[in-house]
Amino acid sequence: MNEFSRRGFLGLAGAAGVAGLAACAGTGTAPSSGGNGGGASSNTIEFWSNHPGNSKPVEQQIIKAFEAANPNLKVKLVDAGKNYEEVAQKFNASLAGGQLPDVVVVSDVTWFNFALNKQLAPLDDLLSAAKIDTSDYVDALYNDYNLDDKHFALPFSRSTPLFYYNKDLWKAAGLEDRGPKDWDEFLTWAPKLKAAAGSDKVVMELPDGSNYLDWVFQNMVWGYGGAYSKEWTPTFSDPNTVKAGKYLQDLAKNGFLKLSKDPAPDFTAGIVGCSMMSTGSLGGVAKDAKFDVGTAFLPGDGNCPTGGAGVGIPANITDERKKNALKFIEFLTNAQNTVTFTQATGYMPVRKSAVDLPEEKAFLEKNPNAKTAIEQLPKTRSQDNVRVLLPGGGARIGKALDQVVQGQDVATVFKALDAESQQVFDSQIKSKLGA
Amino acid sequence: MSTSTVIGTLDDESLPPERTRRQRRRAAHNVEPSSHHRGPVWTALGYVGMVLVVLLVAVPLFWILITSFKDRGDIYVRPAQWWPSPATSDNYHELTTRIPFFDYVRNSVIITSATAVAKIVLGVLSAYALSLLRFPGRSVVFLVVIAALMVPNQITVISNYALVAQLGWRNTFQGIIIPLAGVAFGTFLMRNQFLSLPGEIIEAARLDGAGPMKLLWRVVMPMSWPTLVAFSLITVVNEWNEYLWPYLMSDDETTATLPVGLTFLQNNDGVTNWGPVMAGTILAMLPILVLFLFLQRQMIKGLTAGAVKS
Repeated sequence: MNEFSRRGFLGLAGAAGVAGLAACAGTGTAPSSGGNGGGASSNTIEFWSNHPGNSKPVEQQIIKAFEAANPNLKVKLVDAGKNYEEVAQKFNASLAGGQLPDVVVVSDVTWFNFALNKQLAPLDDLLSAAKIDTSDYVDALYNDYNLDDKHFALPFSRSTPLFYYNKDLWKAAGLEDRGPKDWDEFLTWAPKLKAAAGSDKVVMELPDGSNYLDWVFQNMVWGYGGAYSKEWTPTFSDPNTVKAGKYLQDLAKNGFLKLSKDPAPDFTAGIVGCSMMSTGSLGGVAKDAKFDVGTAFLPGDGNCPTGGAGVGIPANITDERKKNALKFIEFLTNAQNTVTFTQATGYMPVRKSAVDLPEEKAFLEKNPNAKTAIEQLPKTRSQDNVRVLLPGGGARIGKALDQVVQGQDVATVFKALDAESQQVFDSQIKSKLGA
Repeated sequence: MSTSTVIGTLDDESLPPERTRRQRRRAAHNVEPSSHHRGPVWTALGYVGMVLVVLLVAVPLFWILITSFKDRGDIYVRPAQWWPSPATSDNYHELTTRIPFFDYVRNSVIITSATAVAKIVLGVLSAYALSLLRFPGRSVVFLVVIAALMVPNQITVISNYALVAQLGWRNTFQGIIIPLAGVAFGTFLMRNQFLSLPGEIIEAARLDGAGPMKLLWRVVMPMSWPTLVAFSLITVVNEWNEYLWPYLMSDDETTATLPVGLTFLQNNDGVTNWGPVMAGTILAMLPILVLFLFLQRQMIKGLTAGAVKS
């Protein structure tokens, strides 16, 4: 009997342990109050960032200056992930379970879904209440976060693609020291470049479809008068869009173009003639390359897509916290700090007045390649909705472009893309718009 | 009763299949014309194959190692540099200064050891209850455990997050450790191991008056060392490399683990300086390598422990 009870006890203990394990998969109850959504005290601002472009020391420096200017406020910088997608994932998790941040980094691709589901606060009323003049923000960058005439984020770590080229190869091919005027001109250059490069080098390398080919390819599409979409209507089947697709395909067919996960290492190693890469790569490429790096505007005029991330404020926090958060965001992105931040990282200043500051002038004097990027800024264009705003848009287009480069029929692939995009819009976005 | 005799029968039982396997192998050899002594060509081919496999495993590791000693400008060059010249320890210096590396190491050690111990204890105890103790509802409980094994942890992440955040455990060690300590896999693995032990030994031990705990510690566990060591090793390596949950839970270097910390060396929009990343990878790998070498010996010891008379 004694034996049995001990055994029974152990068995029960084991069973209890097992039950405990299973319970770990339980769910939390909904946040008790919609108002505060978490335990953070109202004078501490939690800033969730992935430190774009290794910017943690700069962020800390700006935070210190902010705390000195506002002694009653504290900012807690949180490591929220290694890239924009991870920050979005962590923010998503916090939406399910309270303890929301005050300020969160949202990329050109991730903000929209949060805004659509009313998880980000519209900033317009807050901005006018705080008397912040938004006209100083670069227009294309500011309007990237516009939904139903409301703005859901302010630009922070913004980048654009740049045309990078190997000046040594350009010289060897007997070309002028500049980027191509448009893609037709590039086509006349490509054979010369190929002859000069030799068989083991590639004329142009672009990121593949899972690594933002869909981002830089917008430049080609716009250059040929096409677009991914007009507002919400996908326009992949538009003859001009198809023309751009064929152009991309022909580049690959003629051996001028190669896709890779990340063109930066190949370009820096000198085995690639030119590429379209983010301005964020400037510092690294210039530091690593053992040849003369040239940069130019993307081919065409006013055809450069914007990119990168902004900072937003969650909708479900108290008005007091929102006010403080906005105060911090304004400080983070003011002319002085956007200059500090962008000089350390290679991103674009988000304020028009930033380029007039003496330290920025001196910096551009010394870094002509950074100057290219800034001069291109007024020629940027907000991206097409079906890429940045449709769920999974970038990945969907990237996959199709991979197929195009591999030689599948452009018209067929793009037609399927039209149908798919339309279907995603109808099922996931349409009903929520204007609601 | 001496356990060795019983082990003897165990050996006898395991012999027949072994013999047939050997016979089969011999039969396979006989089909080849050069039956016993393989020709020099085959030997050479064998060595070539082995070298190829070794290279396949070793070259990437070697590349990580030399990259961690290279100057930044020497990492992306063509032709590739197979030996760092000049060699530099700057990457290791940058690794320890640019991120709070040792804080991450400390957190990793705390979290890994705590979760591993919890998982092993829970796994062994629950498996013991589910295999060798009889109580009502045992198979139902086991089914529940198996069901838990079928649910990938990515799915439960959001609900776990909600639960832990409401307890106020975000950015704390218990917030990271406790949800990770659930261990359906260990329960399943150890239960099958315990069930494979010959019933005669268990029965004999019970007849000799061993209570449940004594049975577990003195009889069941010694015979299960290899499985337990393998399970522990898998657990430790998994916990050491665990990324998703620690990254969701931690806010800064007070609780973040090494895999999370190392990502801050990478540049998410632009060009990563791979030198420090490789240096970090090497340093993160070392503890696990040492542990593996150590546990490997234990594993062999475990394999021979029951077979010889002590």
